[in-house]
Amino acid sequence: MIKITGLEKYYRTEEVETIALNKLTIDVKEGEFVAVMGPSGCGKSTLLNILGLLDDPDGGSFVFNGIEVAGFNERKRADLRKKNIGFVFQSFNLIDELTVFENVELPLIYNNVKATDRKKRVEEVLDNLKIMHRRNHYPQQLSGGQQQRVAVARAVVNNPKLILADEPTGNLDSSNGNEVMQLLTELNEKGTTIVMVTHSEHDARYSHRIIRMLDGHAVTENILI
Amino acid sequence: MGLACFIMIAMYVVDELSYDKYNDKAGRIYRINSDIRFGGTDLNMAVSADPMGAALKKDYPQVEEYTRLYASSGSKLIKKGTEFINEDRVVNADSTFFSVFTLPAIAGETKTALNEPNTVVITESAAKKYFGSTDVIGKNVETDENKSTLYKITAVIKDVPHNSHFNFYFFFSMDNVDYQFGNFLSHNFHTYLLLKPGTDYKAFNKNFPQVIDKYVLPQAKQFMKIESMKDFEKTGNRLEYSLIPVTDIHLHSARGVELSANGNIQYVYIFSAVALFILLIACINFMNLSTARSAGRAKEVGIRKVLGTEKKSLIGQFLTESTLMACLALLLAIIIAWASLSWFNNIAGKQMFISSLLQPKYLLVLLLLPVMVGILAGSYPAFFLSSFQPITVLKGKINSGFKKSILRNFLVIFQFATSIMLIIGTIIIYKQLNYIQTTKLGFNKDQVLIVNNPGVPNEGREAFKNEIAKLSGVKSASFAGYLPVSNSSRSDNTFSTEAVMNEKNGFNMQNWNIDYNYIPTMGMEIIKGRNFSPDFGSDSSAIIINETTAKVIGYDDPVGKKLYTNNGPGEPNLPYTIIGVVKNFNYESLRKNVGPLCFRLGNNRWVTAYRVATTNIPGLIKNIEATYKRMAPGMPFSYEFLDESFDNMYREEQRVGKVALTFAILAIIIACLGLFGLATYMAEQRTKEIGVRKVLGASVPGIVSMLSKDFIKLVMFSFVLAVPFAWWGMNKWLQDFAYRIDISWWIFMVAGVVALLIALITVSFQAIKAALSNPVKSLRTE
Repeated sequence: MIKITGLEKYYRTEEVETIALNKLTIDVKEGEFVAVMGPSGCGKSTLLNILGLLDDPDGGSFVFNGIEVAGFNERKRADLRKKNIGFVFQSFNLIDELTVFENVELPLIYNNVKATDRKKRVEEVLDNLKIMHRRNHYPQQLSGGQQQRVAVARAVVNNPKLILADEPTGNLDSSNGNEVMQLLTELNEKGTTIVMVTHSEHDARYSHRIIRMLDGHAVTENILI
Repeated sequence: MGLACFIMIAMYVVDELSYDKYNDKAGRIYRINSDIRFGGTDLNMAVSADPMGAALKKDYPQVEEYTRLYASSGSKLIKKGTEFINEDRVVNADSTFFSVFTLPAIAGETKTALNEPNTVVITESAAKKYFGSTDVIGKNVETDENKSTLYKITAVIKDVPHNSHFNFYFFFSMDNVDYQFGNFLSHNFHTYLLLKPGTDYKAFNKNFPQVIDKYVLPQAKQFMKIESMKDFEKTGNRLEYSLIPVTDIHLHSARGVELSANGNIQYVYIFSAVALFILLIACINFMNLSTARSAGRAKEVGIRKVLGTEKKSLIGQFLTESTLMACLALLLAIIIAWASLSWFNNIAGKQMFISSLLQPKYLLVLLLLPVMVGILAGSYPAFFLSSFQPITVLKGKINSGFKKSILRNFLVIFQFATSIMLIIGTIIIYKQLNYIQTTKLGFNKDQVLIVNNPGVPNEGREAFKNEIAKLSGVKSASFAGYLPVSNSSRSDNTFSTEAVMNEKNGFNMQNWNIDYNYIPTMGMEIIKGRNFSPDFGSDSSAIIINETTAKVIGYDDPVGKKLYTNNGPGEPNLPYTIIGVVKNFNYESLRKNVGPLCFRLGNNRWVTAYRVATTNIPGLIKNIEATYKRMAPGMPFSYEFLDESFDNMYREEQRVGKVALTFAILAIIIACLGLFGLATYMAEQRTKEIGVRKVLGASVPGIVSMLSKDFIKLVMFSFVLAVPFAWWGMNKWLQDFAYRIDISWWIFMVAGVVALLIALITVSFQAIKAALSNPVKSLRTE
């Protein structure tokens, strides 16, 4: 599903050029659950941004679902992204002014799904994630764990092929964290590919494979299954 | 900038309100106004009969003194060196004039200055203009009256203050007025009463019916068959006198025969409101932006609170800050006002100086202003900011509830409603002015050249006119003592449909003496009957009436019918045969309906009018001037175009239009600055949300429209609010015009769309910037 070859990304300020990704090569197969680990500044987030089509690489090749996407313009990337990729963030990134229902509904709106279908689909997802009773609440009224459930609901409502999770448990206590990891595992079991950046060895163990990164390289790969 | 506008408008308003207050006795000086309705025509005049003042002083002890001005003789030719100059700032005044009005002398003694005939009091400027010095006591002023008349200068006074309802250079002795004094039925004198302290002028007004019975009625009986004033009033006629405080004249009096074009209290109200609105808008900006920025300062507040600062001192801190800001703004405002004052004077037709701000009472206001503005603008942010809870703030959870702030929305609505009202007002004023310029007047004001020929001796005027008529480019020539513009001469008389006039068949109308060529030269149209013609020997007893007169007298076909009038008190009534009806033409400003009017053949030779058709106007004028100089050596030559005189009637409206336009633009700019600031802040606040939405697939236009939508809604709402107010206000303004435009819906649409577009451009600039930003960056900031 993801085939990255010799991927490069630099950050330039006026004087310094920082190499974030240095000829990185990674493969992720369909249905896989991959954890990416490494110290701060090793390029994990950059990698996730590029995988999420939020950012364009400076060099190398990125084949997503059989299509070369390196060099795609903003519009093409946005189009591909909204149809195929769901995001789960460490800080949830829910929109404060919208209710739970409206937050989850957003990706469907941007994919031009009809209102009746949207309602059906959102309720289905909320039901699955056991937050249906919170549908009319605002994010501030929910606990951290509940917020992350909503975020996960939002990520999966569109049935994406790939879910990218950036430290999904980073702001949660361990029991809430475990619940979220459980959720991700279930999604993975239903066939969704997941790439997760994490600092936690504990969380990483839920995945099939750990990619450890250092200074923009993939250093080792631990196969867990 | 808001403050600068405020200062300028405030100066304008204060100046308008200051008229005639320079008089030491201003509170006790009153002018007698006359209101007459006779035969369906209303005359509301600033003048009264010449013996009225003396009669009042004799009969009523409340009257301490009276004084009169006689300005009806128009301009005089006054000799400077060897040349005569046409001077229109001349008046004849009673000897008591300077004991009523405070016009200090710089030389001579004004109290006794006009006691003798052939004396004159002149102003400093006049002395400098005509004699080159103010040391002129005992010298003579020479005028062209009876070829040459000398007046001895008995006093030189300081110039009449600009905020006076009259502005004369020469005050000649009343004894030199060529007038049949003693006539209570003729109203030609501006009469002022100085009442004793403590006299209520409204109560004094109640004495006038007595005065009328005692003095006016006996004279009226001589030419009308009436027994009492009741008879006169029964048929809808009326005669009333009243006093107006001299300080009210400038803003509350718009009567016939005013001594100068007065202001209008309406405009003072409007501009005061605009000034306050602009100041409020500016304050609102300050409030909005400082609350909006509050998140940025929340941390400061949190830390200060943790360190033990009390809420009270925090409020103090913020109020001090805002007051200091206001002081800075005031400094800037004074500089801006100073820089733009000459330009503002120009459009507002004023002579104001920034130095007038240095008077103690203004200085006090100037000191208080920033304090007030500071407290007003600073109070909300101060209380808002200082009420932050330190813990939530320091945890960074301050989520100011930006979109939900009702107050802030209200403030934005207020700003835009004001701006939209100003836009609508401006459009309507300009449309009305345009309507005035293009409306059918019943005469053709274009290409008519008016030449004043007071310098040509009376017997030479016919020859002069004929000489000019021969010049190429002149299509027709006519004597035109009366012109259909409001600053021209007027004459009216009473007419009746039967030989013996009574209160039923009598009516008053304009009575203009014209010659054979007047109607074609003015481009007027005869709709029934015919024009005067030398082919008919009997035209000296013929009369041409306008449509209004035809309606007043009520004949189906007035041509051939007779009207009667006399040519002076005590003379017999003579019959005049109606030979034609001229299409109504507007001879006064379009504020008034066309009243009854008639033409008779006669000689009024002091002005000539020429319909011209040439591309070389300057050449033609040069030729006319040469002819004039030949026939009237040493006399001043002056000319004007009829359309220019016509435009002069609406100078006040044009000024108001310009001033309104200026402040509409300023209000919009200030409102937009505020909106821009808010939009910037909003975009900043919502970076995270924008990032999330983009990640989820929102397009750039989608984000922009989302960000703009809230503001657009506010603008729409202000539009809905502004429309009824604007409609009401402008309708009221238009009521002043007998001929006016309809307020059509598209004006409101245009104003709404303009405001919307401006708001949209302002907001979308920020919105697009926010929408284009890379979501990766906004989401990384944790």
